[in-house]
Amino acid sequence: MKRNIKLMAVLLLFILIGSCKKITDVQSTRAVGEVNMWNKLEDTRVALLGIYGLTRAAMVDNNAHWIYGDLRGKQFVSTSRQDLKAVTDNRLKASYQTLDELSNWRRWYAVINAANIFLERVNDVKKADKRYTVNNMEVDIAQARFLRAFAYFYMVRVWGDVPLIISSHDGEFENKTQNSGAEVLAWAERELVAVMDILPNKYGENDPKQPGLYYGENLGRWTGSLARRVSAYAVLAHIAAWQGEYPKVATYTTKMINEAGSAEIGLTSVDNLTSSGEFFSAKRHTHLLGFNFTFQHGEGGMSGHIEELTLAFPFVNKAIPDIYMPKDSILKVFNEKKDTRFGQDTLGRPTTDRYFYNFDARYPIFSKIKVIMGGSASTSTSDAKFSFFSSVALFTRLEDVYLLRAEANSVLGDRQAAINDLNVIRSNRGLPNYAEATNGLVIDAIFKERKRELMGEGHYWYDLIRYNKIRHNNSAFTELINSGGIYWPVAEQLLQQNKLLTQNLYWK
Amino acid sequence: MCIKLPLLLCASLCINFSYVYGKEPDKSPFQVSVRDTSKLSIKKKLIKEAGAAVSSYKLAEIPAVSLQQYLKGQVPGLNIQEPSGEPGTVQNMFLRGISSPLISPADVLQQQPLVVLDGIPLIGEHPFAYDIQLYNYNRIGTATNLLTNIDMNNIEEIKVLRDLSAVAMYGPNAANGVIVLTSKKAGKIRRISINSYFGFAPRPNVATLNASYENAFRKQFYDRYTANGRYSDEDIYPQYLSDSSSTIYNGPSNWTDNYYRNAMVHSISADLSGGSERANFRFSGGNMRNQGIADSTGLDRYNVMFNINMKPLEWLTASLMINANRLERARNRNLRDRYAQTNYIPSLAMPLAPNKEVYQQYVSQFNNGFDNNVNTMLDGYGKLMVNLKNLQISSGIAVDYNEANRDIFFTKPVMEGNNYASNYFGYNQRLLFENVISYSKQFGAAHHLKLIGGQVIQWDLSKYNYGYGYRGVNDLIKLNLIDNELTAKSFPANLLFKFLDKTSHNLFSVYGHGSYEFKDKYSLSLLLRGDASSNAQPTSRWFFSPVLSAGWNVKNDLLSNQNNISALNLRLSAGRLGKLNAFDNYGQGPQYTSNIGYTGNVTLPGFNGYSTLSRPYNSGWVGYGIPWAYTDQVNFGIDFGINNDRLQGSLNVYTKTDKNQLLRIPAYAEYGYKAAIEPGLSVNNKGAELSLSYAPFQAGNSGFSWTSSFNISYNANKLLALPGGLNEMVIGNSLLRVGEAVDRYWLLSNEGIYNSVNDIPVSNGTTMKYTGTTLQPGDPKWKDQNGDNEIDNKDKTLYGHSQPVSVGGFNNDFKLGKWSLSMNFYFNLGRSVLNQQMANSLDFINREGSNAIESVKEITFWEKRGNRNDYPLYNPWSNVIPYRIDQDLFVENASFLKMRTLSVGYDLTSALGKGKMKINSLYIYAMANNLFTLTQYKGLDPELVSYTGYDTGYGMPLPRTYTLGLKMNL
Repeated sequence: MKRNIKLMAVLLLFILIGSCKKITDVQSTRAVGEVNMWNKLEDTRVALLGIYGLTRAAMVDNNAHWIYGDLRGKQFVSTSRQDLKAVTDNRLKASYQTLDELSNWRRWYAVINAANIFLERVNDVKKADKRYTVNNMEVDIAQARFLRAFAYFYMVRVWGDVPLIISSHDGEFENKTQNSGAEVLAWAERELVAVMDILPNKYGENDPKQPGLYYGENLGRWTGSLARRVSAYAVLAHIAAWQGEYPKVATYTTKMINEAGSAEIGLTSVDNLTSSGEFFSAKRHTHLLGFNFTFQHGEGGMSGHIEELTLAFPFVNKAIPDIYMPKDSILKVFNEKKDTRFGQDTLGRPTTDRYFYNFDARYPIFSKIKVIMGGSASTSTSDAKFSFFSSVALFTRLEDVYLLRAEANSVLGDRQAAINDLNVIRSNRGLPNYAEATNGLVIDAIFKERKRELMGEGHYWYDLIRYNKIRHNNSAFTELINSGGIYWPVAEQLLQQNKLLTQNLYWK
Repeated sequence: MCIKLPLLLCASLCINFSYVYGKEPDKSPFQVSVRDTSKLSIKKKLIKEAGAAVSSYKLAEIPAVSLQQYLKGQVPGLNIQEPSGEPGTVQNMFLRGISSPLISPADVLQQQPLVVLDGIPLIGEHPFAYDIQLYNYNRIGTATNLLTNIDMNNIEEIKVLRDLSAVAMYGPNAANGVIVLTSKKAGKIRRISINSYFGFAPRPNVATLNASYENAFRKQFYDRYTANGRYSDEDIYPQYLSDSSSTIYNGPSNWTDNYYRNAMVHSISADLSGGSERANFRFSGGNMRNQGIADSTGLDRYNVMFNINMKPLEWLTASLMINANRLERARNRNLRDRYAQTNYIPSLAMPLAPNKEVYQQYVSQFNNGFDNNVNTMLDGYGKLMVNLKNLQISSGIAVDYNEANRDIFFTKPVMEGNNYASNYFGYNQRLLFENVISYSKQFGAAHHLKLIGGQVIQWDLSKYNYGYGYRGVNDLIKLNLIDNELTAKSFPANLLFKFLDKTSHNLFSVYGHGSYEFKDKYSLSLLLRGDASSNAQPTSRWFFSPVLSAGWNVKNDLLSNQNNISALNLRLSAGRLGKLNAFDNYGQGPQYTSNIGYTGNVTLPGFNGYSTLSRPYNSGWVGYGIPWAYTDQVNFGIDFGINNDRLQGSLNVYTKTDKNQLLRIPAYAEYGYKAAIEPGLSVNNKGAELSLSYAPFQAGNSGFSWTSSFNISYNANKLLALPGGLNEMVIGNSLLRVGEAVDRYWLLSNEGIYNSVNDIPVSNGTTMKYTGTTLQPGDPKWKDQNGDNEIDNKDKTLYGHSQPVSVGGFNNDFKLGKWSLSMNFYFNLGRSVLNQQMANSLDFINREGSNAIESVKEITFWEKRGNRNDYPLYNPWSNVIPYRIDQDLFVENASFLKMRTLSVGYDLTSALGKGKMKINSLYIYAMANNLFTLTQYKGLDPELVSYTGYDTGYGMPLPRTYTLGLKMNL
């Protein structure tokens, strides 16, 4: 007995030392290691949607899309936030954390790196998983390239020159210098041209380019959430407009408008546009290029939506909005009585509160976009207010493309074609057809219409630049364009990390 | 399979325990091989290193809640931070300085010393939960200090091991040092003892403010910088201040009646021990309640501890210990903590009013919901020891398990009409299996050899399930009900957010230890160990390290005839020990995670309802080739006793370098990454620790004795290397520069104010700028250190230290007959604090202007803290943010001396006479705690500061507590 127990104890010891070499091999449940990725078609799905998610994050981080687009051109002004005041005053190097982060392009390079890795690794999945069809892969690759090109275009508009990096350099990162914006745009255009004919106009519903279901789901699931051929045309048109190549703008906008029907895209009525649960909520075919927040899946939040900046009581429980449009500017922009978005009757009373709620108060609330939760904004004072938003991060819609074509035709001298497109939008908003006597020059009327129609969608600053490039009637702004002051400074942190980068001339 | 096998074996061992008993029940198998070189010989009593071991007898009288509070000022080299007086909140310990910069709460968690209770290395909270948090003020869950699970009445002795020769036996868990708690053991005599104290902490007296006061303060700025009371057209004066007719803001500021209180504290514990030579036990149970003096906070602890030893055969030992605790914590009602918890910031336009009735209304609305925080903790061991002649084999398992439950319901009125419910369940568990063989032999009279071989397997698992939801149907249904199909019924499904996370870590260690002693004069020992961690990368799983130590008993060798010198001992040790990675994903190399959140929405679940994977752009690139981090240490010590140990002392000098540590450095932005997790951080800590005790009067015929003991430690850290050979790096608001300390503030030097345009320097026709913004009158005069006529980061310099350069304590014990008196002081020297609270209060324009969490005004906004009039009157609207925190205007010397305890006791034993009941001893005492603080610091209390050194004003005052207690043995 005595000896047995001793023996047992000694044995135990040896058994334990001898066994269990694998004790220290533990698979993390918190991160997917390299070996467990790129093996099956679910991996390409999560990775591809990851690029979309990163693009959405890049657009809305710190409400960048609206601060770049709507606020910088002083379309709106800040009530009490000092950092936003610095933006409207064009003091973009002022020392606020928001401005540091808005000057930082890292979040766009996350999109680009994710797309680069996707393009480098997607073949591994093709080899490993027989379920992954050639068509599925081609459409996936086209989307990854689309998103990468879109990211570069977005960055060029904001910073001018940016490093063009088109491979992941995984683990062997090297610093790169900036490429000229023109070079980057030319590359982006080539990329989009290369993929535009591969992209379908519908996913999951027997589009000739993408037959059958897409990742096992039908059109209901993919409605308006992925990049389509029409989206590629729209982005190409925007790139061309930014380059000033208006013939191309006319071409791509026409292609887009012609295929709108096959993508189930039509013009949006004013009620649809401004109702809480309609156009800006959820995902829709009409989101020509939009990165949606699907509320039904818990996507959305307090931040990353224009509502955070523009809404106040009675939409949300906030005394005054962060930014607002002063009354005189509103009246200057909406100077036509019959406008269904906003107008004044003969007694000076607002005819509608679709765009501006509580116009008579000191701070009219810009209420065009108000997707609270899934779209249940209410002005009732007895309802509990909840600042949880889910409006789509929208880049463009059909109305934008019509106005872009009008702009192109106007620049190219086809005045009547420009007026026709302009009138499509005007009539949809209750306005009479364009008349030079009341509306001024066609080009001015087009840009004014853009301002009214696309207000709060992140367009105004870029429109202002294109307008001034066409018209040259504002010497201060022309000077800003010539000196590179239309761009944002490169964040100090980026310059610290990568000594090959140079600060934009204007901000040196 | 692999894990199951040892588990099975463990289980069979456990069953075996009930048969067995042994010679040395005091020695757990986990301790058997541990030797502190400060005690050179186990056979002969040599001098103990004074101050390293702390007797629990006196400590148990202190109405402290946590181990950290007990140890404050007791041990040289141990720096303890108590950032809030709220009972049961997290406190930090740093032994021999900090080994890496403290940037996030995870850094702090990873630098905590290991606490070992009877051989069980306790597992702490895992920092992985911070990953899903938008704000990291508190970890999700109970955020209770897990080291509040120690009832000091159960503890016989506390040893703080700092020297690697003692620490290294505990393996890589112990790389930050070890605190060894040894519990009271079962005795052979039947004995009951009862320990208890009752007391109270009086409500603090504070000066309160109301809106009129605030208005008067702000008026100065409007008078000076505006023409018509408005800085610009868009300028807005806050409504709660502008309505002077409102009595709730302008009336009496008496909210303190409902916020502060006289708090009660008590502790009762009793234990029973008894048995025979062959089988004995100790059982204890107790309850401690500690109310906070503010905001109805408090901690309740119920503790049960059970020891049993059995010895069925002469050569076999078995013992079993179980220590169980339940902690119930009543948390504060801070708005900031609530908004951080809910990830939702309601309108901050109308802060809590200073009026008592209005505040009470808010409190009762709050109390219609609940915030229950319960931790249940269980630790125990079972061990088996076989004693042969020179050979000893021991096996044992130890288990430490702690779980946390937090259930929250915030009602509609306190969340602007949207109620909120949250449930958290999480646990950390550690299972340890250790086998040790030891062989010792005496060769002749002079030589003694001991060899130990050991092997340890440790399985750690941390997990949580967490969910929250907004806008439940009403305030009566406080749970998220689900129907048969698991569909949420009472909360909208799209506003329900659920999180699961789990991380495990396995550690496999083998070690060999040999020691040789010659005639009780010289000793030499060598430890060699190999550790394999599952969190290390596959290519470098194993880490091998040696520790060599030597001792020379000078007294025995050369001074045996010197009667004056009763002890003199020299020690030297040098060695290396591996440091663990806390996160399992670092072991994976390049990886993919869900990563599509953005500022203000970090846990965005997916895109179009699908989860996503991408590289860890936000948390940072992890590459291959991450080696083990390790610490290299050299320690030299002298222990001495003079005049029959009337004066005892111990001096330790050390240098310790923590190398190859991971650091999250901002990098690779053009590849999408915010940062990269790179190895190569190296930090050196040098220091000296002195402890002295002197007995000017020893108990003699007069019956008067006085013992005085003093300890002080000095520590200085220095950054030796950054990853990638960088020389300096900016992380957030701090600068790490090779050659400098890692705990310094990086600040602009403030030299006053520009009163007029003419004061502002102009160079080459350009007026001086602050990061691109031209300076104006009313802006601060910051020193242009590099003379480029622009103030920016390059003009910042390093100031002060957030960690104290020197900490220590001073104790005096007097005895006269049956009376005893003791006093205890505690001090920190060479430490600075940034007074963020003051900066916030002066920067009111930016804070009123935004609805961010930094702008939250607590009820304590209406308390006068510090003097705002000591600061220059800058233009608060200026775009340079004149009251920015990163300038030396707000840095203050936070050195302090505190009287921690004063106690008077009387021994009643003999006065009891001979009643029926036999009372062996009875001692009663009265104690006052936290009597006074001497400091230059102008804020609330220099201790109430977070690990970053920023005083945010969120620390609840440390209470002054008066208690009466008794200790009785039956």
